[in-house]
Amino acid sequence: MEDVKNNSGQNLGIAALITAIITFVLAVIPCVGLIAVIPGIIAIILASVGLSQASRSNAPKGILIASLIIGVIASLISVSQVFVATKIAKNADKWPNEIQNIVKEVQDDVVKDLEDANISIKIESNGEKVEINASTQNKEKEQKLEALEGVDTLKNDTIQQKK
Amino acid sequence: MIQYSRKNRTDQRSHQKLTEKPYYIINIVFAGVIVLMLIYSGIFSPEKNNYPVVCIHERLTGEPCFSCGLSHSFSLIVRGKIEEAYEWNQYGMRVFLFFLAQLLFRLDFLRLSLKRPENIKHLIIYDSIASLTIFLISFWPFIESIFTGFLRVS
Repeated sequence: MEDVKNNSGQNLGIAALITAIITFVLAVIPCVGLIAVIPGIIAIILASVGLSQASRSNAPKGILIASLIIGVIASLISVSQVFVATKIAKNADKWPNEIQNIVKEVQDDVVKDLEDANISIKIESNGEKVEINASTQNKEKEQKLEALEGVDTLKNDTIQQKK
Repeated sequence: MIQYSRKNRTDQRSHQKLTEKPYYIINIVFAGVIVLMLIYSGIFSPEKNNYPVVCIHERLTGEPCFSCGLSHSFSLIVRGKIEEAYEWNQYGMRVFLFFLAQLLFRLDFLRLSLKRPENIKHLIIYDSIASLTIFLISFWPFIESIFTGFLRVS
């Protein structure tokens, strides 16, 4: 007996394929990838219903299988985006403290660097030049001064320290 | 009279083909979707900032994602402001070109498949390969961002 082929489930297959391809494009765009799981599920349902209809009436299944595969892949991409976004959102509570610590570390480093910094400011106006040199290397200066005087400046300091 | 009936028969046949073959319907629907997207980009403007679609990723995580500013970018490209479009999203242009290429593909493949229905299987294969290639080229930064995000959190 010859098999009679009809177009049962083909319209569902077309709808499923269009939905699946649109879902696939949406799923890879991070902004809207999270909601692509909804059309992805719709595409899978349409393809599954179409497949069951097609297998019952011995209709071609090419489009239905293609739409099912694309729908499943698109949904998986979308679900992975949901997973990533949820993880990031959970970690977002911990990050402010981490950011504060990093900022504090950077601040400390900058202050430490500035302690030994040499600052030179040059101002030129109408042919006049003013140069200001400032250094914060206090320890070096003290050592140089002591070396020049040959005495311990702190011991012979005339200014009495408060007790 | 004979001419009219022949024309009528041809019209009927092409109408039958358009509704019967899935490839024709898919091409028409996708061309329609892309045209709607271009209209969306034309209606909503960056000056008014009245876009109905918001970044869900940013809302959820507080971090801007790779595709943030894509709507603004598309609107600016439609208006011919290419440099400003790059400022909103550096990948906006390549994604816009993908959709534009797809619109041309849909129309051209529809024309070719109507003209030579006997080659429709070959056309579908060429179409699938070409579309997948330009999709990967255009959307690669986004695909990469999904992978890096996945590796970051896992």
